[in-house]
Amino acid sequence: MTAATLVHVVVSGLATGSIYALMALSLVIIYNATRTLNFAQGEMLMVSTFVGWTAQRAFGLPLAVTLLVAVVAAGVMGWLVERIVIRRSIGATHWDVLIITLGLSLMLRAGAGLAWTHDEFPFPSFFGSRPIALGPVRLAPVSLGIIGASLALMAALYALFTWTRVGRAMRAVAQNQQAARLMGISVERVYASSWMLAAMVGAVAGVLVAPVVFLSSKMGLIVISGFTAAVIGGFGSMPGAVLGGMLLGVIENLAPLYLPSGIRYSVPFLVLIAILLVRPAGLLGRIEQRKV
Amino acid sequence: MTARGRFAVGALLAALLVWPWVAPRYFVFLASVILVNVIVAIGLNLLSGYTNQLSFGHAGFLAIGAYTTAVLTLRAPGLPVLVTLVLGGLATAAVGLAFGVPCLRLGGLYLTMATLAFGFVITEAILNLDGLTRGADGLRVPAARLGALALSSDAARYYLTAAVATVMVAAAVNLVRTRTGRAFLAIRESEIAAQASGVPVAAYKTLAFGLSAFYTGVAGGLFAFVVGFLSPDAFDVFLSVDFVVMIIVGGLGSVPGSIIGATVVTVLHDGLAAFQNYRPLIFGALLIACMLFMPGGMTRALSRVRRR
Repeated sequence: MTAATLVHVVVSGLATGSIYALMALSLVIIYNATRTLNFAQGEMLMVSTFVGWTAQRAFGLPLAVTLLVAVVAAGVMGWLVERIVIRRSIGATHWDVLIITLGLSLMLRAGAGLAWTHDEFPFPSFFGSRPIALGPVRLAPVSLGIIGASLALMAALYALFTWTRVGRAMRAVAQNQQAARLMGISVERVYASSWMLAAMVGAVAGVLVAPVVFLSSKMGLIVISGFTAAVIGGFGSMPGAVLGGMLLGVIENLAPLYLPSGIRYSVPFLVLIAILLVRPAGLLGRIEQRKV
Repeated sequence: MTARGRFAVGALLAALLVWPWVAPRYFVFLASVILVNVIVAIGLNLLSGYTNQLSFGHAGFLAIGAYTTAVLTLRAPGLPVLVTLVLGGLATAAVGLAFGVPCLRLGGLYLTMATLAFGFVITEAILNLDGLTRGADGLRVPAARLGALALSSDAARYYLTAAVATVMVAAAVNLVRTRTGRAFLAIRESEIAAQASGVPVAAYKTLAFGLSAFYTGVAGGLFAFVVGFLSPDAFDVFLSVDFVVMIIVGGLGSVPGSIIGATVVTVLHDGLAAFQNYRPLIFGALLIACMLFMPGGMTRALSRVRRR
C-alpha cells in the first residue's frame, strides 16, 4: 500500500469521524444538562434530515436553505420533545428517562417509515464528486467538505459555550445544578436550550452525511457510533467527544486494510474495550469523585 | 410470606402446570418464550438492579448459552438435557467473569458501553466460528434428551422450561435472604455506604456478573430448544435493549418485577405483531406512557396501589 492511499484512507476516516464527533457532541450536550443518555438522538437527526429533504423536493429549495429548514425543524422538535415529555419526568430516575427516550426513538423511526417509507433515497450534496489531486494524493471533495463544515460548527459551539450567556449557563448547570439555580439561572430553560441545540447539531450532521450513506429511516443507528465516540473520549467532555469521534472514524477506515474482513466490525469495539481498560473514564474524561 | 402471597404463588404454580392442557399450541410456545425471558430478566436484574451495572450486552450472554447447549446436544447426544443446560450456563458464567473482572473499574455509562461492545463482538465471533456454529446459515437444534426420552413436542419443551424457570426463580427469591443477598441489597441502596460497612463491593459485583451470566446462559440453552433454530442476527442489540426494557418497566432490583416486566414485554411484542408497521409506534408510546405514569416500574406502582 502506498503512502498516497494511506493519506486518502485517513482523510475519509476523518470525514466519517467528524460526523461521529458531531453525534457525540449532541449526546454530550444533553447529558451534561440533564444527565440523560438520549437514545432518540439518531432518530431526531434522521427525521430532521427527512423534513429538509421533503421541503427541498416540494419547493425546489437551494441546498443552503434545505440545511436551514432541517436545522429549524430539529430545533422545534428538540423543544417539543423536551417540553412535552422530558419536562414531565424531571423528578424521575435516569433509568426511567432512558426508557422514555428509547420509546421516542421507536416512535420516530416507525413514524418516519410511515411518512417516507423505509426505502433509501439519494440526497443532494454540497460538494462535487470530482476528486481533488494534491500531487499523488487524491482526495474526495465530500470528505474535505464534511471535515471543514464540522470543524466550523465545532468552532461555533466553542464560541457559544465560551462567550454567550446561554452557553455559560449550560456549562454552569453541567457543573452543579443547585449552585446554578442559586445564581439565578433557569435550569428548566437550560434543559430546553440543550435539547434544541443538540437536535440542531444533529441536523447539520444529518444533512452532511445523508449524501454519503443515503437518506433512510435506518440512518438513526449512527447514534451507536456517536455513543462509542463519546465514551472513548470521556463522556461529558466536549474535546473528548471530538477526539473520540475522529479516532473511531480513522480506526474504522484503516482496519479493513490490515485485518481479515471477518472481524472488521468488531475492531472499533475491541479498541473501545482496550481503551477503557487502560483509562476507565475515557481518554479525556475525569473519574467523578462522589461525596456522601 | 403472607397467606395472600402464598396463595398467589400456589395459584401461579397451578396455572403453570395446567397451561398446556387448556391453551392452544401457539400459546404453549409463547409461554415457553415468556419463561425464558423471565430467567434472563432475573439474571439481568441481579446485575443491573442490585449492583447498578446496566448491561446492554445480555443478548451476547444468551447467545453463548444457546450455542454452547446446542453444539453440546449435537456433538454429544448422550448427555441429558439438564447437564447440557448447566454446562451452557457455566460456560456463559466463565465468559461473564472473564469480561466482568476487568470491567469492575468501569462505572455507569462506561460499563454500559463496554457491554454493548461485548454484544457486537459476540455476534461477529459466532459468524467467524462457522465450523461450530454454521455462521450466518444458522444452526438447527435437535430435540433435548432426558435419558431415552426426546422432548420433541411443544408441551414437553414447555414443561422443561417451566421446571427450570421455577427452580431459578425460587433460587433468586431465596438468594435475597442469604449473606450474599443482603450484600446485594446493601450495594443496591448505596455502594459507598455498603463499602463503609465492610461489604467487599468488588467481590460481590464480580459475583453478580457471574451469576447474571449463569442465569442468562441457562436461559439461552432453553431458548435454543424452544425456538429450535439459532442464527447470529437473532441476538442483536435490540434484543439486549428489550431485556433492559423488561427490568426497568417491571421494576429494578425486584424478582417479581423481573417476572412482570418479562411477561408484559413479551406479550406486547407478540400481541402487537398484527399491527405490522404500527407496532414500534404503539410499543414506543406505551413505553413512554408507562414511565410517565408509573415511575420506578410496575412493581412500585402496584405496591403504591396496595398501600392505599
